[in-house]
Amino acid sequence: MRTTATVVAAATRHAALLLLAVLLGGCTQDRLEWPTREPGSRRGGVLRLAAGDDVPTLDPALGYDTRSWFFEQHLFETLVAYDERAALVPALAERWELSADGRRYRFTLRPQAVFSDGTPLTATDAVGSIERVLEPRTRSQGAEYFRGIVGAPAFVDGSAAHVAGLRAPEPAVVEIELAEPDPLFLHKLALLFAAVVPAERARRLGDDFTTQPIGSGPFVLREWRRSERIVLARNPRYHDSERPYLDGIVEQLGVNPELSWLMFESGELDVTSIPPADFPAVMRDPARAALTIHATALETMFVGLNCEMPPLDDRRVRQALNYAVNKADVITLLNGRGVEAHGIVPPNMPGYHVELAGYPYDPQKARALLAEAGHADGFATEIWIQGTDTDMKIAQKLQQDLIKVGVQLAIKSVAWASFLEAIRQPKTVPVFDLGWSADFPDPSNFLDVLFHSGGANNHPFYSNPAVDRLLEQARTVLDETARFRIDAEAERQIVDDAPIIFLYHPITYVMHDPRVHDYVIHPFLPARVTDVWTDPE
Amino acid sequence: MRGARSLLRLGLAMGAFLVLVAVIGPTVAPYDPAAPVAPQLAEPLPPAAPFYLGTDDLGRDVLSRLLYGARISLLVGVVAMAVTMVIGTAIGLGAGYFGGGVDVVLMRITDVMLAFPGLLLAVALVAVLRPSVWTIFVVIGLVSWTGVARVIRSEVLSLRERDFVLAARALGARHGRILRRHVLVNVVPTILVIAALSTSGTILLDAGLSFLGIGVPPPTSTWGRMIQEATAYYRVAPWLMLFPGAAVLYAVLTFNFIAYGLAGDGRAPGA
Repeated sequence: MRTTATVVAAATRHAALLLLAVLLGGCTQDRLEWPTREPGSRRGGVLRLAAGDDVPTLDPALGYDTRSWFFEQHLFETLVAYDERAALVPALAERWELSADGRRYRFTLRPQAVFSDGTPLTATDAVGSIERVLEPRTRSQGAEYFRGIVGAPAFVDGSAAHVAGLRAPEPAVVEIELAEPDPLFLHKLALLFAAVVPAERARRLGDDFTTQPIGSGPFVLREWRRSERIVLARNPRYHDSERPYLDGIVEQLGVNPELSWLMFESGELDVTSIPPADFPAVMRDPARAALTIHATALETMFVGLNCEMPPLDDRRVRQALNYAVNKADVITLLNGRGVEAHGIVPPNMPGYHVELAGYPYDPQKARALLAEAGHADGFATEIWIQGTDTDMKIAQKLQQDLIKVGVQLAIKSVAWASFLEAIRQPKTVPVFDLGWSADFPDPSNFLDVLFHSGGANNHPFYSNPAVDRLLEQARTVLDETARFRIDAEAERQIVDDAPIIFLYHPITYVMHDPRVHDYVIHPFLPARVTDVWTDPE
Repeated sequence: MRGARSLLRLGLAMGAFLVLVAVIGPTVAPYDPAAPVAPQLAEPLPPAAPFYLGTDDLGRDVLSRLLYGARISLLVGVVAMAVTMVIGTAIGLGAGYFGGGVDVVLMRITDVMLAFPGLLLAVALVAVLRPSVWTIFVVIGLVSWTGVARVIRSEVLSLRERDFVLAARALGARHGRILRRHVLVNVVPTILVIAALSTSGTILLDAGLSFLGIGVPPPTSTWGRMIQEATAYYRVAPWLMLFPGAAVLYAVLTFNFIAYGLAGDGRAPGA
């Protein structure tokens, strides 16, 4: 569950300064040596990337952000994983069975699974990895996902040395017993929290595991200079004899989107995002447009309305604000890189579909609803945003739209950490700009986590007992069709209550060098480059 | 001296135009500076009729934003300057005239304030306070009075030893009277020069704060924010940055010319 900010264009104001720094710094950087490439082979070559922020961690028990996950998913493997269309597929586990009561899983590991340092990967490691996440001293945010395993609470409070429901009866067999049937459990096992690490060594290394990660993924860590660059090299012991095609991945750190674009244009990078200023020109040029790829993200951008703060405690007012915002214009401001949101769950959620009218742009209806609620003359309120260029742009657009129905919107721009802190406090932030991206492809990952009255991420402080009941009911229904029907009913009710202004689902665009092939955007995970190959120089 | 006088005249003429724009700007501005008026969003239009200075990515008219921004920039420049001058002059007068312990205490406070970079301190203050035009006035005043205090103090240090001050003191005049009638009137020329100079300083600081995204909040248009919003577009739509940049340059030059002209010898004190 990742709270997201709009990152289409983060701050670009220090572009020139950074450019200078890179020009100066570029001369002193060591050159990396890579194997010489065999002519005519797909194998070989290096993918050059750039990013703004350093990687928070490479320890899968700790990483809970897109940056960490990008690297972790290349270093580690989970029992089950997702393919490019977000369907669950075997990974470390070759196959698995679920008992008839929905509580007992039995996973069979791939034979001869091995860690990058040559030691064999066994079921004991898989069990130990989940125990490490549950252990309080690991302080993993992922622990909550595995509390449903039999014996996990006793293990967490220290009264048991092992989790009773986590067993390794054979070196290649993992058994997991749940206290209750959990329709989402395989999704939880596909999270990188459940990545299989050499548990004993990871425990011994403690905080150093992040700089000396050992996994069974397609790549290994070769070099990590904090805030400078991070380099992965092919894992020679990876189970696939052919892939990855790349010899390595080099990511330069401290490069903002604007600079990334300039470096891409001068041929120093292979993949980049496209800054808003340059986007229209790129798309008008067929040759360059052909090098872009895009995908609708499993993500929803919205404006939260605090349901406890008058006048937003009145549903009619919240509906009015929804009608007052011209979402099509908001998307135009983003160069069309978005799909209008009619509800909360993104339209490309696998297997889930619900027809919702949403709130089409209708200022007259908005004014009528406001008058009905006793605010014919409008009112003044305040939107809190994180100060990126895109957030500011959208906030000003909202300001322009809302003033037309008499609502004066002041803009308060705050740093990300203070922003997250503030929206958690009751009756503090009336209106806020936020996004939510899926951790796993299931509607409950939007509905339950954002709108259940007890949810830690229910920042609008929305509470509807009928919705709570539906969401709780859905938690244990194993049959997907039946569960999605309940979810859809809950979503309809939430959309009608309008605890947020439904804005859009972002479309991610990246542009790649013509020599790069098979680079794909994943619907909700960071890109995986195992299949990427490049033309020889 | 003729050079200084023509510089002053040029400065005053430029200043008069700036004031005129600030006063009538909003009435002659062709559009609402906060409303989307261009036929398209996301792609700024280059300067051409009917948008003589182009439009920005939110479809707003650059000329109108510039005209409205003049009022804010000038207002911030002058009001923040006044705050600066009041604080700086009071501290400088007190420290220079009374000397001794008062001097030590006031000047150490000044040193402490000087130790913080002005912009950084302003950023911290704005973060704590609620951003509004009034916050900006006060914050800029609070962080820029130190230079003024130092210059005034050094002037007063020599003034208080002058015969007319000693004579007044011998005649039994009270401190308040001496400060007002004999000291303050004699530092007025200096104050005027620093005031002019600090106006350009405050205009720049305001632009800087807006550039960092913490100046006067939208929908009010300010030159600094215009420049900030233009940075993402500087290669595809340079006019977005050029015009407000030129406006800031013009305003700063205006007050610098006035200051140098007033100083008489082409050099401003304490600059």
